[in-house]
Amino acid sequence: MTSKFSAYAHPEALVDGPWLQAHLDDPTIRIVESNEDVLLYDTGHLPGAVQIDWRGDLQDNTERDYISPAGFSEVCARYGITPETTVVFYGDKSNWWAAYALWAFRLFGHTRVRLLDGGSAKWKAEGRPITREKSKPARTVYPVPAVRHDAEIRAFFDDTLAHSRSHQPLIDVRSPGEYRGEITHMPEYPQEGVLRGGHVPGARSVPWKLAANDDGTFKSFDELRAIYSESLGLKPGDDIIAYCRIGERSSHTWFVLTYLLGYSRVRNYDGSWTEWGNRVRAPIAKGEQPR
Amino acid sequence: MTSSLPPSLADIVDFFDALPDDEKRENLIVYADQSSSCGPQASEVFDLEDVRKDEECTDKVGVFLRVDPVTRQSHFRVTLGPHVQTLTRAMTAILCKGLDGAKPETVLDVPQDFVPRIVGGQLVRLRSQTVYYILTRMKSVAKVWLNRERQQM
Repeated sequence: MTSKFSAYAHPEALVDGPWLQAHLDDPTIRIVESNEDVLLYDTGHLPGAVQIDWRGDLQDNTERDYISPAGFSEVCARYGITPETTVVFYGDKSNWWAAYALWAFRLFGHTRVRLLDGGSAKWKAEGRPITREKSKPARTVYPVPAVRHDAEIRAFFDDTLAHSRSHQPLIDVRSPGEYRGEITHMPEYPQEGVLRGGHVPGARSVPWKLAANDDGTFKSFDELRAIYSESLGLKPGDDIIAYCRIGERSSHTWFVLTYLLGYSRVRNYDGSWTEWGNRVRAPIAKGEQPR
Repeated sequence: MTSSLPPSLADIVDFFDALPDDEKRENLIVYADQSSSCGPQASEVFDLEDVRKDEECTDKVGVFLRVDPVTRQSHFRVTLGPHVQTLTRAMTAILCKGLDGAKPETVLDVPQDFVPRIVGGQLVRLRSQTVYYILTRMKSVAKVWLNRERQQM
């Protein structure tokens, strides 16, 4: 384990390239790629990795919700995952969607989860092995989880509204322009159907990118502590909700707060701004940070 | 219905339309691999060059147009920054091939509803909308070329 990892609250939740390369054939591990670029996996991926698509595999495509426990059981069985399997996630965009998939696995109580620090870009930049051969793991049996743990790590509109009214920690991880209400789309992205711009009243702006280095790896424990614990003032035991536009960037922040800094009560509001900014009479603030 | 498309593009659309989603993906990767050769060649001279980074795309895109003065057939070249998504790279190669030889006014009239027939239902999602961006950029250059032609008449 690197000295960087050992400083984190849960160093076991991260792996680096050398470790993963040495474990490519480890039968207790399933490597999962999860991306925004829908064809990136097909252009080359880690040997043995399967692709789990955030929309096609993890979301209910009729209602805006996640798959059921039975659906999760089927996804795991299809990709050769059992409850004992350690799932190592990685992907593009500094691991946004990998963190999102990891968070979704946690919704179903699968706690043997890890992220590859730096994701696919760093792996490729280091010249590590890549293949276009699609992995076809043998089907497994994954018992249907008894519950989906929404209450523990997922926030809904009403939870977030209550948080706003009671002045509890709310973190808006979008870009500053989105937070201020100047734009209703992410820079460099198409409009995703939001009618109003701004932020949840009381939310503090801490863009997800502050937690990442330019190569997509996570910043050190001390750097993260300075951002979230010292500047933002989060305290151990705080009940924290993070949000973005559809929940993927806030999954990245959720991972940072939960696994790297060790906050025990962090929820991801996956409805995020695409729900809040369209909701009739949802209170909205514009402009700079609250003092 | 591909009758409103230039013949080369219509052929590509018809080819993809007949494929199951898995084979669409495989062929999109083949096209994406070809996108690196869509850029200008060393000796080529263009009537118009439009290289820029727009808000709605993740990286810089350059569109280069040469129109044959006699036949008025257009020839596009496109350069893509390294962060452009795979689907957009595939669409770039498809459009460079499919629109090659079309007249500028034909390019301007190409409807965008053929895109879902190429990429299939699995891959059409909000954050894949930049597949339309390259066509928009090519049309924009064709429009400028036509305006210049009118002014010179």
